[in-house]
Amino acid sequence: MLEVKDLQKRFKNIPAVSGVSFQAPNGLITGLLGPNGAGKTTTLRILYTVLKPDSGTALVDGYDVCTQTLAVQARLGVLPDSRGLYPRLTARENIRYYGRLHDLSGLALEHEIENLVKLLDMQEFIDRRTEGFSQGQRLKVALGRALVHRPQNILLDEPTNGLDVMSTRALRGLIGRLREEGKCVLFSSHVMQEVAALCDQIVIIAHGQVVAQGTPEALKAQTGQSNLEDAFVRVIGSEEGLEK
Amino acid sequence: MKRILIVFQKELIDNLRDRRTLLTAVLTPLMGPVLLAIILTLQVQMLTEDTERPLAIPIVGANYAPGLVQFLQQAGIKTLPAPRDPKEVVRSGAYEVVLVIPPDYPEQFRAGRPATVQLVVDKARQSARPEISRTENLLSAYARQITALRLLARGVDPGLINPVTIETEDVATAQGRAAFILGTMPYFIIFSVFLGGLYVAIDTTTGERERGSLEPLVINPVARWQLVAGKLLTTLLFTLVGAAETIVALALLLRLVPIERLGLELSLTLGNFLTMYLLIVPVALIASASQMVVATFTRSFKEAQNYVTPLILIPTLPGIFLGFITIKGELWQMLIPVFGQQILINQLIRGEVLSWSAVLPNALSTLAVGMALTWGAMRLFERAEIVAGR
Repeated sequence: MLEVKDLQKRFKNIPAVSGVSFQAPNGLITGLLGPNGAGKTTTLRILYTVLKPDSGTALVDGYDVCTQTLAVQARLGVLPDSRGLYPRLTARENIRYYGRLHDLSGLALEHEIENLVKLLDMQEFIDRRTEGFSQGQRLKVALGRALVHRPQNILLDEPTNGLDVMSTRALRGLIGRLREEGKCVLFSSHVMQEVAALCDQIVIIAHGQVVAQGTPEALKAQTGQSNLEDAFVRVIGSEEGLEK
Repeated sequence: MKRILIVFQKELIDNLRDRRTLLTAVLTPLMGPVLLAIILTLQVQMLTEDTERPLAIPIVGANYAPGLVQFLQQAGIKTLPAPRDPKEVVRSGAYEVVLVIPPDYPEQFRAGRPATVQLVVDKARQSARPEISRTENLLSAYARQITALRLLARGVDPGLINPVTIETEDVATAQGRAAFILGTMPYFIIFSVFLGGLYVAIDTTTGERERGSLEPLVINPVARWQLVAGKLLTTLLFTLVGAAETIVALALLLRLVPIERLGLELSLTLGNFLTMYLLIVPVALIASASQMVVATFTRSFKEAQNYVTPLILIPTLPGIFLGFITIKGELWQMLIPVFGQQILINQLIRGEVLSWSAVLPNALSTLAVGMALTWGAMRLFERAEIVAGR
């Protein structure tokens, strides 16, 4: 469960986020949609504790991201904007490191890694060093290490960037499964179709502000448009972010 | 503590798998000692050649000064018959020195007047210098001997003509050079301390950010200072191993190179080397922490290298000067980290006993600076820009 309340953040006096509020409940997939530079990554970075907001708060399962950082971090699984792996470690060692940092160890940890290997179909490369991995393989390892501690809240920043069709499909399958387990999934994207295909509710951000939010149906009703694409164009006021 | 160890363990494995880090860590600490070994061995060889090469001097008019010729022969000089053209044989390099005794020598000598002898030499030739000075020294010695005899014959104490006795220590000799070279030992030790963990410090900070793995790392429920502590421990370990290598290599070097042939007495015990190492441990903290601070706020691996490399030189500079001047270990000098250690190591090399009143302030002030730098590195890691970039 994520609650974002009136977040404000400026970088050298240029506002990146000015008053973003929304909620992402458990058991639902929430899409953070908006054109590039709208403030999606800044919002997520505040949520996953890497940035401090100038004002406003964000809560993860009721814990404040600014003051209860460690508790928040323990409840988050994050695929951040930068998702570098350790090239001299194997995929398994990369995931194991994160597991250990989350206080997992021994057989329980190894068992969890094995589950992820099956879930993400990593058998082929799990014991290879990650140097030279393909985008899809890298994403799987990055997802694996984000999920190794079975977090309740999952934040994914532009997860499909640079992925081929097969990897994108696999990712969608995984996100759907997480929802079935009752997790709270929040993912950002600038691609409208992707969000439309997956999300239970959509938060549209433009120029650092939430311009619309609700279920796809509610958004269509709100804007008086018959399809989501037109609704999206209507609320952000341009055709940025539409796949042609 | 457990999380610090997890970070430490991961960084250790990660860096041990990095060939560049490993080569720097293993090979560079050996460079100094190897260089010293080569130079010292060359010095020993040169010195051996100088003194053991029999000196042969052609003498023109040897029959005019049988006493002098006999003196030279007793001193180990091989006297040769006169060449046809003394200047020509010297110029061509066939002989280094030709001694010419003029025909009026016996007369002047008997009369007690200054009797002139002539040395034909080529001073421009570097390799002839030892022979020339050796001949000159022998001639002076002969003159002193005659002077003493003449004074004695007249009932005068020969000591009277030596109001001042000069003892010269020629630092240009191989022996002096060797002593100078050994005086650079502290420099090499400090150097290796600042090199051993260099790549680890960069790799675990700006390197990690450059690979894009820093942002996901800090999202784990681990305090930033614990991450820094784990990374610093890894750097520290590499640094300490590097320093140990250098000191062991120096110890071996002093065993293997016959420095006693250079007239040097260097009786460093195993305990002395161990003391050297313990003196260096606080410096390792300064080296690791300062490298982490610098590497953390640089933007890339390359930039970090540019900044950290001169960092090696700053603390090692006093070590170079120590090779030229002898400094007594005064308290204020002891309080300067790195510099104090270099003085103390030099004292060990000279065979002096270290006093706690010097060692303790030195170690404490160094540790204090090291802790401050560590704290700085931890504070730096708390800053958002360090992780998120700008």
